[in-house]
Amino acid sequence: MINTTLLLLLLAVPLLAALGSVAVSQDRIRYALVLPSSFITFALALTLIARVLSGGPIRALGDWLYLDDLNAVVLLVVMFVSSLAGAYSIAYFRSPQQGHVLRSGELRKYFSLFHLFTLTMVLATVSGNLALLWTAVTATTFASAPLVDFYGSREPLEAAWKFLVLAVAGELIALLGFLLLYASGIALLGSTYNFSVPVLGAAGAHLSPTLAGLGFMLVLVGFGTKAGLAPMHTWLPDAHSQAPAPVCAMLSGAELNCAMLAIIRVLSLATPSAGHRAIDLHAALLGFGLLSMIVGVVFLVSQRNFKRLLAYSSVEQMGLIAAGFGIGAPLAVVGALLQMLTHSLAKSLMFFNSGNLLLRFRTTTMAEVRGVIRVAPATAVLVILGALAIAGAPPFGLFVSEFSIVRGALGQPNWGAGAIIAALLLVGFIALVAPFSRMTFGEGDGTAPSASPGSELGVGVLAPGFALLAAVLLLGFWVPGPLHSLLIGASRVVNR
Amino acid sequence: MLPEVILAALILLVTFTFIVTRQLGAAVSTYAVQSWLLGGVSIALFADSHLIQLLLFGLLTIAVKGIAVPQILRRRSSFALAGRRETVYFVRFPTALLIGAGLTLIGFIVATRIPYPHQLLPESVLGIALAVLLLGLFTTTARRDAILQVGGLLAAENGLLLVGLVLAPGLSLLIEFAIVLDVLIAVLVMGFLVARMHQEVSTTDTSELTRLRG
Repeated sequence: MINTTLLLLLLAVPLLAALGSVAVSQDRIRYALVLPSSFITFALALTLIARVLSGGPIRALGDWLYLDDLNAVVLLVVMFVSSLAGAYSIAYFRSPQQGHVLRSGELRKYFSLFHLFTLTMVLATVSGNLALLWTAVTATTFASAPLVDFYGSREPLEAAWKFLVLAVAGELIALLGFLLLYASGIALLGSTYNFSVPVLGAAGAHLSPTLAGLGFMLVLVGFGTKAGLAPMHTWLPDAHSQAPAPVCAMLSGAELNCAMLAIIRVLSLATPSAGHRAIDLHAALLGFGLLSMIVGVVFLVSQRNFKRLLAYSSVEQMGLIAAGFGIGAPLAVVGALLQMLTHSLAKSLMFFNSGNLLLRFRTTTMAEVRGVIRVAPATAVLVILGALAIAGAPPFGLFVSEFSIVRGALGQPNWGAGAIIAALLLVGFIALVAPFSRMTFGEGDGTAPSASPGSELGVGVLAPGFALLAAVLLLGFWVPGPLHSLLIGASRVVNR
Repeated sequence: MLPEVILAALILLVTFTFIVTRQLGAAVSTYAVQSWLLGGVSIALFADSHLIQLLLFGLLTIAVKGIAVPQILRRRSSFALAGRRETVYFVRFPTALLIGAGLTLIGFIVATRIPYPHQLLPESVLGIALAVLLLGLFTTTARRDAILQVGGLLAAENGLLLVGLVLAPGLSLLIEFAIVLDVLIAVLVMGFLVARMHQEVSTTDTSELTRLRG
């Protein structure tokens, strides 16, 4: 069966790249492996997504693997972010401005974990068996925690430890949720059944509502920890600010969405049986979403470090996505799905920018970076346009997705949530754009190295950013036809 | 039925060691004993039900979690196990004991409220399992030492597998294999970070790691 082969290849390529990165002795070959591996994986992912669009969900290996529209959206996000982060990694570690002197073996560790991290996220997006989904999402933690500790000093270690302990605790709570979900099907399907998305999906309204609902709540709290939802988000600003820039992009842009995918998947399976109680499940998601937005925005205002600023922006944005799904109106759900993509693109762009600023100014303190536009114009263009994009200014893609969520929320009988979201987005906009515009245009007497012409960064670290900027700008004007059908298809999976 | 319940009760008893112990080495031994008992519950269930996956799961648990994981933990943290004995709580000792008792009670109360389809094990075992889960998570949050934090998470995970035996004894072996494998990898990564911590701050006391704020 061709679909099975394609799915297995999709998993095999990053695995081989990881093994290759461990095995080879020269860093030159490790660098050379990155682009072909992401290119092939991306091409396989697009082929599979096209087949889902034309022929419906793909089921393989007794439903252990499964790709439907919802999985496909997140697969697309993961591959976009991972490919560009791979390209950026090469340029970043080769950059002459790189302050950190690479010790031998560090790149072996980096690239093997990088490919494993991609593998675990791809696996999460093609899992059909729910236990495999849990395992894959959990495995993302183990691949990424050592990457957070990459620079190997005290602060990254602290961040990695906090991340690992809280994420694992959350994952255990989520596992309890999955066990309850399994138990919810026993009355209908018998004590031994195939614990997979299509099987539970077909069981629909006949699951035990109390067990399925309780299962969803626990998955929401457990994987909500991993998805950066407040009040379980406390590890996120540390981990997402201490890791190397390309890893930050993967953490914020891709990993959070994998956890969110698992939450939404369980929501879609638990809702049909919940009857009139379904509103409670959605309300819980909306509640966590709004709280995360509030926490994110409040902390945005008080940040001094631009990487932490971006990390809190992720808390706000994941809150927005959760709220969009929680509202449940078709327009808001489509908006939340599109937001997963646009946020990932813009956030990766901003984390690449943070890496570039670090290369150029050797600091992540906002007050020490001033007048980037005079020192490095191309970098500055990416910084200021990226900041506008992530803040949701038109004509960037995030404006479209955020507008859809707010519009969908305001169309509800309880339009209060929509009003709160709109207000928070506005405050968040100012809190994000103001510091980056000061860094770009500010006069100030920042302690950064004096402006000298010709000190622009290399094209290698700028190109991935420009690619992302183009993509997020394009999505602001035009959502391509296949992507549109994919989003609509995914929203039907969520709102069954 | 009775042997399983007795073994499960012993698991709960052993878990309290995490709350009361003052020795880091005890955390690892306690985890090993707990895993043997969990494997015992699964094997005893096999004797009752003749579900072959329960036997294999029991053996897998004993091999990986009763033998391999404690071995890795001991090797990775030998420096800390030898060096320091006293370990410190974020909360005071009597308070910790009281909270532990409270959490056990909560576990049993919650167990009576979950309308699960009764399989092979009685409700009391679900209460024990939830209590072990809560006690493990509490150990992780209340203990300052990284090794005990890892121990707490692993204990919580054993509680969860016991929940699995109560709620879903028919869950396929492949799934349980994936979960156990996950634990093994978790321990390797955590062991690596514990060793890094010792190298960075010469202790595994996480209260040394409080530089990141806001």
